Amino acid sequence: MKLLSHLLWGAIAVAAAVCLGGVALIRGEHINSIWLVLAAACTYITAYRFYGRFVAARVMALDDQRATPAERLRNGHDFEPTNKWILLGHHFAAIAGPGPLVGPVLAAQFGYLPGTLWIVIGAVLGGAVQDFVILFASMRRDGKSLGKMAREEIGKVGGFIALVTVLIIMVILLAVVGLVVVNALRGSPWGTFTIAATMPVALFMGLYLRYWRPGKVLECSAIGFVLVLASIFGGRFVGASASLAPMFTLSAMALAIGIIVYGFLASALPVWMLLAPRDYLSTFVKLGVVFMLAVGILFVRPELQLPAFTRFVDGTGPIFAGKIFPFCFITIACGAVSGFHSLISSGTTPKMIAKEWHAVPVGYGSMLMESFVAIMAMIAACVLQPGVYFAVNSPAGVVGATPAAAAATISHWGFPVTAATMAQLAKDVGENTLFFRTGGAPSLALGMAHIFARTGGGAVIGFWYHFAIMFEALFILTIIDAGTRVGRFMLQDLLSHVAPPLGRMMWMPGVILTSGMVVAAWGYFLIQGVRDPLGGINSLWPLFGISNQLLATIALSVATTILLKMHGARYAWITFAPLAWLVTVTFTAGSQKIFSPLPAIGFLAQADKLAAAGAAGTATQTLIFNARLDAAVCGVLMALVAVVLVDSARVWVGILRGTADARVREAPFVPSRLQAEEI
Amino acid sequence: MTRLRRFGRIVFAILRELADENAYQRHLAAHGREHSGAEWRRFSEERLRAKYARAKCC
Repeated sequence: MKLLSHLLWGAIAVAAAVCLGGVALIRGEHINSIWLVLAAACTYITAYRFYGRFVAARVMALDDQRATPAERLRNGHDFEPTNKWILLGHHFAAIAGPGPLVGPVLAAQFGYLPGTLWIVIGAVLGGAVQDFVILFASMRRDGKSLGKMAREEIGKVGGFIALVTVLIIMVILLAVVGLVVVNALRGSPWGTFTIAATMPVALFMGLYLRYWRPGKVLECSAIGFVLVLASIFGGRFVGASASLAPMFTLSAMALAIGIIVYGFLASALPVWMLLAPRDYLSTFVKLGVVFMLAVGILFVRPELQLPAFTRFVDGTGPIFAGKIFPFCFITIACGAVSGFHSLISSGTTPKMIAKEWHAVPVGYGSMLMESFVAIMAMIAACVLQPGVYFAVNSPAGVVGATPAAAAATISHWGFPVTAATMAQLAKDVGENTLFFRTGGAPSLALGMAHIFARTGGGAVIGFWYHFAIMFEALFILTIIDAGTRVGRFMLQDLLSHVAPPLGRMMWMPGVILTSGMVVAAWGYFLIQGVRDPLGGINSLWPLFGISNQLLATIALSVATTILLKMHGARYAWITFAPLAWLVTVTFTAGSQKIFSPLPAIGFLAQADKLAAAGAAGTATQTLIFNARLDAAVCGVLMALVAVVLVDSARVWVGILRGTADARVREAPFVPSRLQAEEI
Repeated sequence: MTRLRRFGRIVFAILRELADENAYQRHLAAHGREHSGAEWRRFSEERLRAKYARAKCC
């Protein structure tokens, strides 16, 4: 039996190596997406079985005889021992946002290989380890948050900086995902109507749940899903109607203002009315679509049309400028390593773990699942013809303002495409145009529609395209209203030290003022993205990637400190290696974004170029100010994290020399009395 | 068939957990209360307040 087990694991490991080798080495022909699927799946299974369990057994010494906080502090609310598979689903749904879908689509401009390797290797050795160690640390500390652990393990500065970094990340995140929605819906009456219709649907669901059928969330969500599907069909009718289509054909600026107003209202309205029902619906749709995409890829097994490497590895990419190192590694954050996950791993999940060993599938396993979602997004982008992919994702400021000019530029790069092909494709999916739709969402939707409707005609692909757009926009808007609300709470908490009434959650003037301040912050960056002649994604997505990875740097610093306290230097490499890599990547990317002499990359060079051009208009002055503001935000983030790193290094040296307090601050051991039938 | 049924039960339990329906049942059990519209609203308000005080992941 043992021999059979060894043979099986050996076969999976060999399959992983062969498929990864195939993906990496096959050149000059299209490869089938199944290679990527097998390479990723076999690597994840092997890593989970060996590396994940090694970390669990040797490093963390997980012990099912030790009562978890869910058992010791059980209160029927936050602290509740939960079945590991249910918790796995819950945790996965919490960590999987738009990041693992959009990042790989953008990074596909380098070709499929760099992003794929980073997604697989980064998740196995970095992202999953980060999520797992932070979950473990929080579980052993009564479910404490990352900020509290940073304060206790490193010092007060670390905790405060973690809080400020989260606030800045949220502002950038909300702006960038808002921009993704704006670019997906710009000039699209079908898409705009579908998304607009989700608002009355959510209001209906809110009333249904609160007054008509209280507590029937699944039933209500099923009705909501049917209504949203109906709105996609309704959108098709609206898009084809001569009288209705103009009402829903909005410019990027009109959509941005609409999203800003929506964010403000949703943040100030009671949560049961709009936010909660839509959140339920978007969670189920998200999980369903991810499942459908996995089945679709396995069923269709499409060939990848993008090459392993494109010419843009030299840093001249039209979607975002910069070389593979470091920009591929910050463009794909969620899906490989995401600092934001550390907030979830130290949030509700550690309070629900019934047995310590459940942290392996929940912490390590969930991240591998998210990484697989990123692989599927990469496949969806790469099944498009390269010319189509670049025509959709390139801004007019780079490829030319007219379809003919854009097609000529992209074809000149070696990716043939014609304006007629793009016009036909746009007609097939019910859009006016598919040129200059930066942000990743439209090309992801095209790729998904291509997979879902492989054997269908134009009408089917149009439905699937708008279904995919609806799916992306639905949960992005949920992130916008939930994020604005969280930002408001943080700000109210912060301002309460200066003006105590502002800290009262139910005091309407305070709610309106702080909601307005948060919305104004991300709204400013959103408008900046809309006005940016390079499409906005070129500047905002790297900022978001850098800030997210800097949060991962803080999380891994905390994790390394804890491992050093537990074992000395012996196992510190487990978190120190990904930390060193992330520090290298983010500080290189950050400094290039600020100081690169190339205007396409460096914010300051971009500002200088605009200033040197001599145009004195208000619009140009605004662009110059925005570029300098982006440089300042990037610089502040890097400086904050540098402080945490220096503070951490001081603690590490102290621990290794024996001069610093190396006590592990875990809750005391209490034997578990939890019975198997209780979970 | 048994495994398939078990898998189906787990999937349904995950959906109920995501829908807060499991949490509501735990709330009723913990406080020894019966389901009613008012009870759901009380539970829901407390649950959602805590839920949306935390950042949603990217």
